[in-house]
Amino acid sequence: MLTINDLKASIEGKSILNGINLSIKPGEVHAIMGPNGAGKSTLSSVLAGRADYEVTGGKVDFMGKDLLELSPEDRAREGLFLAFQYPVEIPGVSSTNFLKTAINEKRKYHGLEPMEATDFLKFMRSKMEEMEMDKSLTSRSLNEGFSGGEKKRNEVFQMAMLEPKLCIMDETDSGLDIDALRLVSAGVNKLRDGERSFLVITHYQRLLDYIVPDFVHVLYKGRIVKSGDASLAKELEVKGYDWIKQEVEAAV
Amino acid sequence: MSFIEQIQADFDAYAAQAEKDSFYDIRANAYAHFQKNGIPTLKHEEWKYTNLRKIAEGNFAPSCLSTLDAKSLLDLGLLNKIKSNKIVFVNGCYREDLTEWIETDASLVMANIASARKTHQEVFMQHFGKYAQTEKEGLNALNTALLSDGAFIYVPEGKSLTYPILLTNISDATTEAVLQQPRNLIVLEKNSSATIIENYLSVGNQASFTNVVNEIFVDENGNLEHYKVQRAKGETYHNNYTQVYQNGHTNINQVTLTLDGLWVRNNLHFYMNGLNCNSLLYGLYITDGNSFVDNHSRVDHAKPNGFSDEKYKGILMDKSTAVFNGKIMVHADAQKTNAYQRNQNILLSNDATVNTKPQLEIFADDVKCTHGATIGQLDEEPMFYLRSRGISETEAKKLLLNAFADDIAVKIKIPELVQILEEEIARKL
Ligand SMILES: Nc1ncnc2c1ncn2[C@@H]1O[C@H](COP(=O)(O)OP(=O)(O)OP(=O)(O)O)[C@@H](O)[C@H]1O
Ligand SMILES: [Mg+2]
Repeated sequence: MLTINDLKASIEGKSILNGINLSIKPGEVHAIMGPNGAGKSTLSSVLAGRADYEVTGGKVDFMGKDLLELSPEDRAREGLFLAFQYPVEIPGVSSTNFLKTAINEKRKYHGLEPMEATDFLKFMRSKMEEMEMDKSLTSRSLNEGFSGGEKKRNEVFQMAMLEPKLCIMDETDSGLDIDALRLVSAGVNKLRDGERSFLVITHYQRLLDYIVPDFVHVLYKGRIVKSGDASLAKELEVKGYDWIKQEVEAAV
Repeated sequence: MSFIEQIQADFDAYAAQAEKDSFYDIRANAYAHFQKNGIPTLKHEEWKYTNLRKIAEGNFAPSCLSTLDAKSLLDLGLLNKIKSNKIVFVNGCYREDLTEWIETDASLVMANIASARKTHQEVFMQHFGKYAQTEKEGLNALNTALLSDGAFIYVPEGKSLTYPILLTNISDATTEAVLQQPRNLIVLEKNSSATIIENYLSVGNQASFTNVVNEIFVDENGNLEHYKVQRAKGETYHNNYTQVYQNGHTNINQVTLTLDGLWVRNNLHFYMNGLNCNSLLYGLYITDGNSFVDNHSRVDHAKPNGFSDEKYKGILMDKSTAVFNGKIMVHADAQKTNAYQRNQNILLSNDATVNTKPQLEIFADDVKCTHGATIGQLDEEPMFYLRSRGISETEAKKLLLNAFADDIAVKIKIPELVQILEEEIARKL
């Protein structure tokens, strides 16, 4: 589904990603962990197409397409979704209108007719139930005045609505209370259908108890320095990152 | 003939045949003021950014000879579909055939001033020329001296209009450059209410100069909803002077939508002559091409406990220019005044320009006043967020600009007007 090959990126002349290699197959769940400032959000931003970053090397293949050549909107229409670490508030844009526009733009891209208003509302209502979203949230402006946790839940709700093929979740668990964490994880697990893939960025093993990953990677200084299975996350929880940092420094 | 010579000839012709009554006196007096001051130049403090040279050097002339099928044109528009009383002027000339009056109360009046000044002489002369100053305002003087015609709207004490009045002015510059000088007088007596929509359209490839003066008087406990929709396309020059004079306990909601026009200058002046006046001034301008839009406003808080809220927002594209100049004057008497003013602009192009100047002059001590102005671009973060959900750049802009316009749109109580606004944003992107 996604193949990242020696990806390098910088911002304002400062190199942040220093050759990332990662391959995700359909249905797989990959977790990325790593210390603050390692480049995790940078990786997700580059994949989503944020213009601030300059890609200085490497290739990304997304289901046979050269991802880096696509505009952010086309990446989304092709099935990539990024749940942001810090979702923005957009006052004056209604959540409903936003979602309807997003869905219909994607449909148009794939040569489909726009969804009828009533069908859309029905679809939205069913997804709200499925994700246990509070009605009062979607009747407001997009993320406006939402609490930190509500914003994160809204990201997962949007993910459910847009039915992407690859979901990148950037610290979606941060800021969630225990119940919300359970709800969000349950929501994500409902979206796991054997085909849809996930790239889950997190600092906490706890999330991975709910969303069990097939692979765990450690990102450090813009490189994936260690990969393993779910047990690696448990090891990190106990030991922290120092031993990995030392391994890396020793190898240099 | 130069424009000034044309004006002279027009006034001579008018003076030669006019009955020398008090109506004539006001106009002759205004003409003397015009002769003294002429058309303002950039040296005039209030016209510093607003060049009238194209007007002064244009060869505009009044003409009622339009052959425009105004009915078909109007029927195409959304505004005409509003259930409303309608009065139409083409090149300033009254089109009685297009008048629609659906009120049942015979005491309510909507007429053209050429006839109303006779049929309702007393009310008319009580208010005509009382609010719009001519002494220092060259273009007001010109309008007063040589007005084309216009609407007279009169709501007697305790009465209310059931339906809005749609007051449409069309400039038809198909065959020659035209000058029209609409003059409207709106009188709301005590405890009355009305909704009025001023609607400006244009046709033709020649230039037109529309020089409007509105005098609005609202007596105690009166309520007025006043909308101005400016959509004159092509080489159109539009100067709109609106003087509102309100007595105590009145509520006025004024929304100006400037959606088209090569050159537009709005002068909006509220004078709050009583306790507890409530004055709301909102506006949205969307400019593109080489257009120029200038909103000058002044709110005079002359008596205590007044509230005024002013918010003008602009979306600028291409090489267009906007000017905002808002003056709030709190007189020594006007204690417990609350006055707010904001001007916010979004520039969608590097070649667009905004000059904004809020002015507060406060002579009372117990008042609350704030003002502020912003000029910026569309934020990148929301833009990226929307695009990352599959929304194209254009659609994302549309969503964000509609959101920007939303705090003006919510002040509009007529859904068709909001729809026009949204369509205009979509069309221009
Ligand atoms: N706009 C920017 N200008 C300069 N440096 C930046 C910019 N954006 C990110 N960086 C730097 O890039 C590095 C990687 O940041 P990134 O946000 O990707 O880290 P992260 O792994 O997501 O960290 P966290 O766990 O704290 O979310 C950091 O050192 C950060 O300061
Ligand atoms: Mg991060």
